[in-house]
Amino acid sequence: MPDLLQELEAQIEGIKTLAERQNVGVIREIGDGVARVEGLSDAMLNEMLDLGHGITGLALNLEETEVGVIILGDYTMLQEGDEVRTTGKLLQVPVGMGLLGRVVNTLGEPLDGKGPVKSNIAYPVEKLAPGIIRRQSVNQPVQTGIMAIDAMIPIGRGQRELIIGDRATGKTTICIDTIISQARLNKAAEAAGDRSWRSLYCIYVAIGQKQSTVARVIATLEEAGAMPYTIVLASPASDSATNQYLAPFAGAAMGEWFMDNGMDALIVYDDLSKHAVAYRQVSLVLKRPSGREAYPGDVFYLHSRLLERAARVGEKYGNGSVTALPIIETQAGDVSAYIPTNVISITDGQIYLESDLFFQGVRPAISVGLSVSRVGSAAQMKAMKQVAGQLKGDLAQFRELAAFAQFGSELDAKTQAQIDRGKRIMEVFKQPQYDPIPVEVQVAVLWAVQNGYVDQVPVERVKEFQAKLTDFLNTRKRELLEKIGRQQTLSDDLKAGLKSAVEEFAQTWKTTPAR
Amino acid sequence: MISSKQARRRARQLFRLCHVKGFVDETRVRRVVLHVLNAGYRECPAILAHFLRLVRLDRHQHTARIESATPLPADLQASTEASLKGIYGLGLTTAFVERPSLLGGMRIQVGNDVYDGSVLARLAALQNNF
Repeated sequence: MPDLLQELEAQIEGIKTLAERQNVGVIREIGDGVARVEGLSDAMLNEMLDLGHGITGLALNLEETEVGVIILGDYTMLQEGDEVRTTGKLLQVPVGMGLLGRVVNTLGEPLDGKGPVKSNIAYPVEKLAPGIIRRQSVNQPVQTGIMAIDAMIPIGRGQRELIIGDRATGKTTICIDTIISQARLNKAAEAAGDRSWRSLYCIYVAIGQKQSTVARVIATLEEAGAMPYTIVLASPASDSATNQYLAPFAGAAMGEWFMDNGMDALIVYDDLSKHAVAYRQVSLVLKRPSGREAYPGDVFYLHSRLLERAARVGEKYGNGSVTALPIIETQAGDVSAYIPTNVISITDGQIYLESDLFFQGVRPAISVGLSVSRVGSAAQMKAMKQVAGQLKGDLAQFRELAAFAQFGSELDAKTQAQIDRGKRIMEVFKQPQYDPIPVEVQVAVLWAVQNGYVDQVPVERVKEFQAKLTDFLNTRKRELLEKIGRQQTLSDDLKAGLKSAVEEFAQTWKTTPAR
Repeated sequence: MISSKQARRRARQLFRLCHVKGFVDETRVRRVVLHVLNAGYRECPAILAHFLRLVRLDRHQHTARIESATPLPADLQASTEASLKGIYGLGLTTAFVERPSLLGGMRIQVGNDVYDGSVLARLAALQNNF
């Protein structure tokens, strides 16, 4: 009881008795989650406004006599003539370690029924990206666990890599695989007590997705044990356009906290096409002039200022990073539409997923020719560079030759060998979903491919060969894999070890009958 | 036919013409309205509607509405008025209003600025705190 009295007294004392000046306005027009408020002469851009009834608004349009406000809540409770007050605060969201393992909405409020979010720090949703002086170049890899990406389109910590493709081509799956891979690596490092390991925390921002899709993603992450290292920020399709527009910025703020505190974070924006649509809706209701495809003129700035917040900061500034994996959904493979071209030009590369490849059974359906990583190779593990250096070229050549070979012409032995090698590489890169491969296994398998140990294996049995080789290495040659992981480069010693291991396996493989 | 944007622009131009030494001159306002009405343009209603809104907003900016639960004594009214004119300038018109729902204290609104020292506001703040 004395505690309660003290608490009440403290709260009463906290109430200021002096009448402070407040800036107010009156709602002149309201509808579609947007209000036009007359007055509010002191309102700042992006300032939080108190609309009464516990509802908050955000000042987006500052005009001569009125302010265009987007409402973050149930606007049906508001009506014309209601008073609106400025708060002097910019829109903020809670940040910190307390958010890990939680599912929150755009304002950082919990959606998972696990009680309040434990966080006493808040970051503004809109924040300037780190400047040139604070940044350093990308030099640490993000191990996605997807062999095709880690080998040919490597992603570095602090990079912005676009994932683009038609609907149902596996865009989200790539991101989920990456999150699962980070969780496994973080867990392994924790278990081994590796203090040099820099954990990569993930933030999955779902924008305009179906609730069922978000629920499925959460279930997958929980099943894989990735949730303790992940924050899910959900602004589903049923959410207001305002919340969908703000969701990626809130996710970026959460990621920036990790970066500012010398940690690494990875943010998945799933997806920015729907984000652009939500922003178009908000802009049109705010009566901003529309441009191409009815998007407002600043839709490029919207995405560029969001993605510029991904960075790797220098040692002096904590050495943290935010990596961004934005997703763009194309319509019938059209990458030349307005939003896809915008985001392609902003990001440091793209992973292009093709429907045709997907339906041919090539999963992940990555189009090697159209996918590129502009900065990631600097961060690629040296051992991987040694084994994967030629792969992209080999595959490009294979595709060209394969197209030529379709005409049924006679092929010389060298060309035939290149085609055969290409077919096997394609098989090796096929990978089931939610099953990331550790980088040392990837190196070992690719070394075997590069050195011709797979050339004698029939194409239809390459996956079987790969699975058995992986099993063999994991069970019988664990130390060799650990050594690759530790040394990060293929020394002569390691190459000899790999040679003897793969040859030993090849002996047993020959005797294994086909299924 | 002019667009709503053009009507707004013209209304703003007319409104600027009504200013004398930084304040809106009532005589000029009347003359402008008469002139527009006599001109008989088709777009007159739209222009005048915007013009009226600008005049209303300007008047609102230069009006102090002083609310209290009970009528204020004359000396308090005079001192309040003088203080407000000290802050907002001489062009301020004041209106004293009785509003029993405030329970006590005073609420002053000058344009978009509100100084709420009423019991009602303090109770609301208390309610928000718990």
